[in-house]
Amino acid sequence: MPRADTDTDAIEELYARGVTDGLPVVPPTRERVAQAVAASGRDGDELIALVPPNYGRATVEKIAVNAVMAGCRPEYLSVVLAAIDAVCDEAFDLHGVSATTNSPAPLLILNGPVRERLDVNCGAGVFGSGWRANATIGRAVRLVCVNLGGARPGVVSMSTFAHPGRYSYCIGEHEEASPWESLAVEHGFARTDSTVAVLAADAPITVYDQRSRTASDLLATIAGSMAVIEHHKMTHWGDTLLVLSPEHARIVADDGWSKADVRIFLWERLRRPVSELVPGRDGGDGLPEHVLRKYADPARDATLIPKFRAPDNIKVLVAGGTAGRFSAVVAGWTFSKGSSLVIRRIAS
Amino acid sequence: MTEYMDPTDSVATDRKTAPRPASLEGRVITLLDISKAKSDHLLDRIEELLRERVRPKTIVRKKKPTFARPASDPLRQEIVGATDVLIEALAD
Amino acid sequence: MHDGVFFEDHGIPTATVISSEFLRAATAQADALGAKAYQTVVVPHPIQPLTREEVRALADKAFDAIVARLTDAR
Repeated sequence: MPRADTDTDAIEELYARGVTDGLPVVPPTRERVAQAVAASGRDGDELIALVPPNYGRATVEKIAVNAVMAGCRPEYLSVVLAAIDAVCDEAFDLHGVSATTNSPAPLLILNGPVRERLDVNCGAGVFGSGWRANATIGRAVRLVCVNLGGARPGVVSMSTFAHPGRYSYCIGEHEEASPWESLAVEHGFARTDSTVAVLAADAPITVYDQRSRTASDLLATIAGSMAVIEHHKMTHWGDTLLVLSPEHARIVADDGWSKADVRIFLWERLRRPVSELVPGRDGGDGLPEHVLRKYADPARDATLIPKFRAPDNIKVLVAGGTAGRFSAVVAGWTFSKGSSLVIRRIAS
Repeated sequence: MTEYMDPTDSVATDRKTAPRPASLEGRVITLLDISKAKSDHLLDRIEELLRERVRPKTIVRKKKPTFARPASDPLRQEIVGATDVLIEALAD
Repeated sequence: MHDGVFFEDHGIPTATVISSEFLRAATAQADALGAKAYQTVVVPHPIQPLTREEVRALADKAFDAIVARLTDAR
């Protein structure tokens, strides 16, 4: 346990112990941690999860220590608890996410009344900084991954690049500006439920389209940006977000398209023939050996291979400012048998 | 002086490695492919060399469904029950 | 590393082959689990761009170390 005379000494001590993300943390005093635990309504000793890859014990109290360090207000703790439960779900494969040479960071997507209650940003600048709930809830999850899971960069975490989302990556869906049902409702939750969804996510790719006026025109632009996820010949990819700005969502919905229509259009458009995907043509990477083996003459085979395994892997939601004809694509670390999006109810 | 709480948890327990046999002759050797590309080429050659040089009782080939996760419990139990030694490859 | 530690815990001598880039992570992981005695067999990085023949040549070079990891010849 660090001891210090002043908060400044404590901040330096915590840096030195390697329990920060490089930014100063709020020193986790007993009082601050107790307040956070009390606000959650849970018992401090309750075990939420064992956090891979080191399987440190994430009790409510240990999570609260990290949440206080992240700068969370006590009322944010129930969101952090649900998010930790979600990232420790087998389906999310936090072990892989924390150890891979690829770049994912856990992206949290909030739905339901919790967004207004905690003032979660869903609008302009949704992927950026400035909102305490977004900044600190995302940060708390990452501190848990590092301090209880062991995901230290260059040590257990082998990510070649990582990305800034490893400081904090948390958004709210702009349900009020969406013409469709929310991500949570699509996954079987009620509009009145508060939920957190987690995706092992790359940084967002911005898609600029100021001129399309029909759904198919706009989605053709978007498909072009999705085609190069991982690399232009990557196939059989999984959960990936398409975040439409309110203006772009309106174009698609006014044309009478549903989210399902969007998914099917993109999935179909993003298939390519085997012959275009062989390694050595337009780039050294391409279809893996075990897939190429299925085709007698891959260099001439016209069989279509999908970029995404199924239309349902394309998760559509609406967020961002009401001014701006842009959208964002967020790829997941979601190859076959890898990570998947996981969604949990937040206990109130 | 103010005391601050510890955000970490140590799960290290004192572990030792298993005792080794004097040789691999007459032993059951399992080769576990972690399913990263190229692991199979390495294990194919290791298998050839084991047969040439060591005279094992049997060589068993197993494969994880993905390199991105530890081996599943059923796969682990299959291996524990049935082998003398294990070679796992190749994490890169 | 988790697999290797599990199998050693259950009495199965295990040789885990890793590329040199992963040595630091493997050691850290083993330390975190309390398995300080646990050692890997290291081959040079990178592996992914190699041909089948080149990977087989690595196996030739690593073979003796693998056998040594699994036996205790006195």
